[in-house]
Amino acid sequence: MQLNEDAIRQIVVDVLSGMSDQGSNSETKSYSPDRSGNMVLRETGRASEGRDNDEVVIAIGPAFGNKLSKTMIDVSHSEILREIMAGIEEEGIKARIVKNYITADVGFMGHQAAKISGSGIGIGLQSKGTILIHQKDLNPLANLELFPQAPLVDLATYRQIGKNAARYAKGENPEPVTTKNDQMARPKYQAISAVLYNKEVKYLDADKKVVEVEVSFK
Amino acid sequence: MEYIVGVDIGNSTTEVAVAKIFKEEQNIDFISHGIYKTTGLKGTIDNIEGIIRSLNSALKKVDLNYDDIELIRLNEATPVIGDVAMETITETVITESTMIGHDPWTPGGIGLGVGYTIKINNIDSCTAGDDVILIIPGDVDFADAAEIINKAIGRGVNVNGAVAQKDDAVLIVNRLDKQIPVIDEVKYIDKIPLAKKAAVEVARPGGTIEKLSNPYGIATIFELDSEDTKHIFPVARSLIGNRSAVVIRTPEGDIEERKIPAGKITILGDRGKSEIGVDTGADEIMDSLEKIQPIKDVTGESGTNVGGMLDRVKKTMSTVTDQPLSEIKIKDILAVNTFVPKKVTGGLAEEHAMENAVGLAAMVKTSQLPMQKIADRLEEETNVEVVIAGVEANMAILGALTTPGTEKPLVILDMGGGSTDAAMVTSKDKVYTTHLAGAGDMVSLLINIELGLNDLKLAELIKENPLAKVESVFHIRHEDGTVKFFDQALDPKLFGRVIILADDEKVPIHSDHSLDRIRQVRREAKNDVFVRNAIRALERIIPTGNIRDIDFVVMVGGSAKDFEIPTLISNRLSEYSVVAGSGNIRGVMGPRNAVATGLVLSYLETEGSVING
Repeated sequence: MQLNEDAIRQIVVDVLSGMSDQGSNSETKSYSPDRSGNMVLRETGRASEGRDNDEVVIAIGPAFGNKLSKTMIDVSHSEILREIMAGIEEEGIKARIVKNYITADVGFMGHQAAKISGSGIGIGLQSKGTILIHQKDLNPLANLELFPQAPLVDLATYRQIGKNAARYAKGENPEPVTTKNDQMARPKYQAISAVLYNKEVKYLDADKKVVEVEVSFK
Repeated sequence: MEYIVGVDIGNSTTEVAVAKIFKEEQNIDFISHGIYKTTGLKGTIDNIEGIIRSLNSALKKVDLNYDDIELIRLNEATPVIGDVAMETITETVITESTMIGHDPWTPGGIGLGVGYTIKINNIDSCTAGDDVILIIPGDVDFADAAEIINKAIGRGVNVNGAVAQKDDAVLIVNRLDKQIPVIDEVKYIDKIPLAKKAAVEVARPGGTIEKLSNPYGIATIFELDSEDTKHIFPVARSLIGNRSAVVIRTPEGDIEERKIPAGKITILGDRGKSEIGVDTGADEIMDSLEKIQPIKDVTGESGTNVGGMLDRVKKTMSTVTDQPLSEIKIKDILAVNTFVPKKVTGGLAEEHAMENAVGLAAMVKTSQLPMQKIADRLEEETNVEVVIAGVEANMAILGALTTPGTEKPLVILDMGGGSTDAAMVTSKDKVYTTHLAGAGDMVSLLINIELGLNDLKLAELIKENPLAKVESVFHIRHEDGTVKFFDQALDPKLFGRVIILADDEKVPIHSDHSLDRIRQVRREAKNDVFVRNAIRALERIIPTGNIRDIDFVVMVGGSAKDFEIPTLISNRLSEYSVVAGSGNIRGVMGPRNAVATGLVLSYLETEGSVING
């Protein structure tokens, strides 16, 4: 697939229009009554190392949920996070959310989450929708399950990923989540993926490090 | 001084022994051995490649060429091949409503709830005091569902339980003000009859349901009379062991376990003929087999799996030996009861039931294999004189007797892939042999179907190797409970999984089966096939028919190398005070190379007194 400059420009414009102009602390924001796009993220300070072994930590990218609100296929961050958390809860495990301001790389985010997770299992989730399951003792570049083709991951799959992460935390033997594979996904989404990643990187803040996030769905 | 080679073509491996012969001193010095998988079907010209490779690897070890070899001695292979098949003989059918055997991974809540089924969207039509079981379709979000239920309970409706289509049970229950049992993952939720009395039960984690798995419990809930209770009994039985269950009572609703007509087999023996349905089970089949032993032939009803399998083995053998099909006879069968996970017909939740099945192994034997063709071809390829020397069983005995601590009378059990062969030599050098259907391949088949793997290669790996559970990235727990630590992190693909500890790699098993369950299936399959065949073989082969009359049983062949089959058999035979164990040919080879060794040893003897060695 050929991308000319105009097309890229158009994509960039589309992406920027999808970004919310709200600040990070959205306590004063008013919510729409429907369930999509009504997640509230409240940062509550430096993330600590968990001691409960019935938790899975989800690390979200620095722009996730407030600077950006949709993935590259226009699925809202709110719905994705809710499904992952539901998957974890259904298995009887608790989900803890942190926001990583040090890196926007999905592997390192996931590994960082795993290291502060009481169960040793963490999930890394980028604003563009790429997600993986990590374990604290693994090499940061390794992973338990990786879903590199984010445009092909639907909400039901995000739920399943949450379930699997929880089942690893319980020491169970879950079948890896089956994913679709599309040769065309790469050329088709490469540009927008790069744009979203660059956007996310802009919000990195070495001083903030990794912060605890309180999530509520209204 | 000269070099002699013994070549043994087995069903699955071709083995070679190389020895230096000192004629004057009547002395033999074994210097090398080789092994390669048998290429093509045993006894066909395709075997040449395997022989050459096996021979080359043996010669390379001691730096010899074909020119150095005086003679190659080939075994007169027993013309025996086996095959396996499986026939399901029961089928569970639900005619309406009841969800049997559906055991979702994560049901929600706890306890027993009874009420009338109603869709969650219609809850407003209920009035205070109504007892209801809510049906929650997949398009209703879990948070919405919880809110609706809380509201209904708030205005006095007795919501006693719920059935959800999506995997939402825990999520819903976590958001309720009152604990109710919720069952989820019911795929065909639209088919649940509405306004019917239903009961939902969820046990505590780790427990099993008590009310709905008891026929009188169901009778109490639905106020059944004795006639109806009889009727509901299969429902109760199918729910035993579940953590959760739903039972919906409709006048027409019923489940039944049907017998599938699985075809008949006809056993022709010296002492008569017996026709028996496969659906009567393995025990019946084996009983009638023993009654009319020895067998002349077995035929299966055409159009059934068993009939097809029996025809197939005969056809293969007929092609190999160039003999007319009518002259190929099946000499033994082994039937084993097993279970197959099968989708329940009419089920609402795509539930599976363990259906009864019978696994069958068959063995054919003909008068001779075309060994001379192989010998001629081998001579052409190597330029070494090749002779066909000695019957396989005699050679195997000769080889087995090199195991330290053995003496005649002795029985060898040759446990391979396709058949279990036994030979006995008395103190007066008389040799008896027998060949039985069922060996390693049968075990693989049983493991494959009982665990629902659909992967015969994986089943074989499970058969051959012990299991372990990866408990962290740095340690695994073996199936006997011992822990092994690693300095290097294990492959992330193995994390949390039950793995097979194969020789040089760890293979993960992707299934919900626990380590204990896989281990149990594996050991039972080995017991059903090998221990049973060991007893059958001994009873047939010992002239007195009494297992106590022999002292030594030596196990040889590929399956004797298995990590647990020899101990399973030893344990069983110790009841008869028989010394049984895996062979150790020439004190160094383990259970391998018996026939090849025997072939070399017999060189110094004249054919007739082969056993004197």
